[in-house]
Amino acid sequence: MGLGFTIGFIGVLILFHAAYSTIQYRTLLKITEEEFSGSPLIVVIELTLGLLLCTWAALNVPGKFLCILPDSDENRIVSLPGNLDFMIFNHRGKIFPVEMNERLRH
Amino acid sequence: MVTKTEESELKNLEIQVDNGGGGAWEYLSLVRKLKVRRSDKVLKHGLSILNDSKLRSKLGADEWTLYEQVAVAAMDCQCLDVAQDCTKALRKRFSESKRVGRLEAMLLEAKGSWEEAEKAYSSLLEDNPLDQIIHKRRVAMAKAQGNISGAIEWLNKYLEIFMADHDAWRELAEIYTSLQMYKQAAFCYEEVILAQPTVPLYHLAYADVLYTIGGLENVQTAKKYYASTIDLTGGKNTRALFGICLCTSAIAQLTKGKNKEDKEGSQLQSLAAKALERDYKQRAPDKLPQLTTALKSLTLSS
Repeated sequence: MGLGFTIGFIGVLILFHAAYSTIQYRTLLKITEEEFSGSPLIVVIELTLGLLLCTWAALNVPGKFLCILPDSDENRIVSLPGNLDFMIFNHRGKIFPVEMNERLRH
Repeated sequence: MVTKTEESELKNLEIQVDNGGGGAWEYLSLVRKLKVRRSDKVLKHGLSILNDSKLRSKLGADEWTLYEQVAVAAMDCQCLDVAQDCTKALRKRFSESKRVGRLEAMLLEAKGSWEEAEKAYSSLLEDNPLDQIIHKRRVAMAKAQGNISGAIEWLNKYLEIFMADHDAWRELAEIYTSLQMYKQAAFCYEEVILAQPTVPLYHLAYADVLYTIGGLENVQTAKKYYASTIDLTGGKNTRALFGICLCTSAIAQLTKGKNKEDKEGSQLQSLAAKALERDYKQRAPDKLPQLTTALKSLTLSS
């Protein structure tokens, strides 16, 4: 978790640095009155690296992903809850008493 | 709804607590959340927590919920003296409580003194005429005394006021099915499916009831609901697959005179048959020949 946070932080810093470099490059081009066709190659590589690091951190920091399919092996409904509001005590289990020798002691 | 993960978690906790490991309180909370009926285990482990004053003080305000849970479990296991003690402790703490009054009336019910319980419930209802749980307890009492028609009457009256209570609709559907009043049961299952459309078990029950009523339209609708069950469970529900095969052959028999070619019906049946055979091959290969002969007889008779 700490590793994910650090890598995410580094990724965000790299992205900011790439943005700053692009802005500086544009100002330089404005001074020399050339057209801004695209960032220099090194900044694009820096941008991709920042993207990869941030994506990795975003996938790893939140933890285990849960399945959303209703018929997946974890989410499928196995049984309905027993209708406990309508529970009756007059059932056949009365014949088999629970061996409960304990009582509420206090 | 109890999902597979929750069920396996419950089983693990149960094994853990039964073998003396800790975690009794988590087990009891999970039982309470999932609304399953494990009265003997709840009674045993709940009582062990309540009798241990250290564990009891650790629970804080939750101990009264535990008292209530253990009281109901004791009533279910017919340990009425334990239930009496728990109820008395609750009454001492909450002297002016309707919830404790309800518990005391339930204790009278469990003892079998029906008239006193009825009197207790009516007096509780006088103070609070819109208490859902007391209405439902009256239905349960009628059912326990064997007075099924009285239970149906009470339940219908309850549902006129509280139409959105899907548990009550489900209970009514089950009562009607036990009395073989299938048309009314189908109506109740429709209400339940309206309330919770993503639970495949209700679709399955509705399809079963429709198939039992019979008649061409009902069997066609039953086939649709079996298909929706298969859809919701990802094809894993064996009963729904069998239902499709039976419905298709029943429809073919009912429309034998008419000259309708139902191509996609037979396709659905062959797909369902293939899925069944695959399932049996995997899980019960020695029963596979019985299955193939049964399926062949279905298609032959159609």
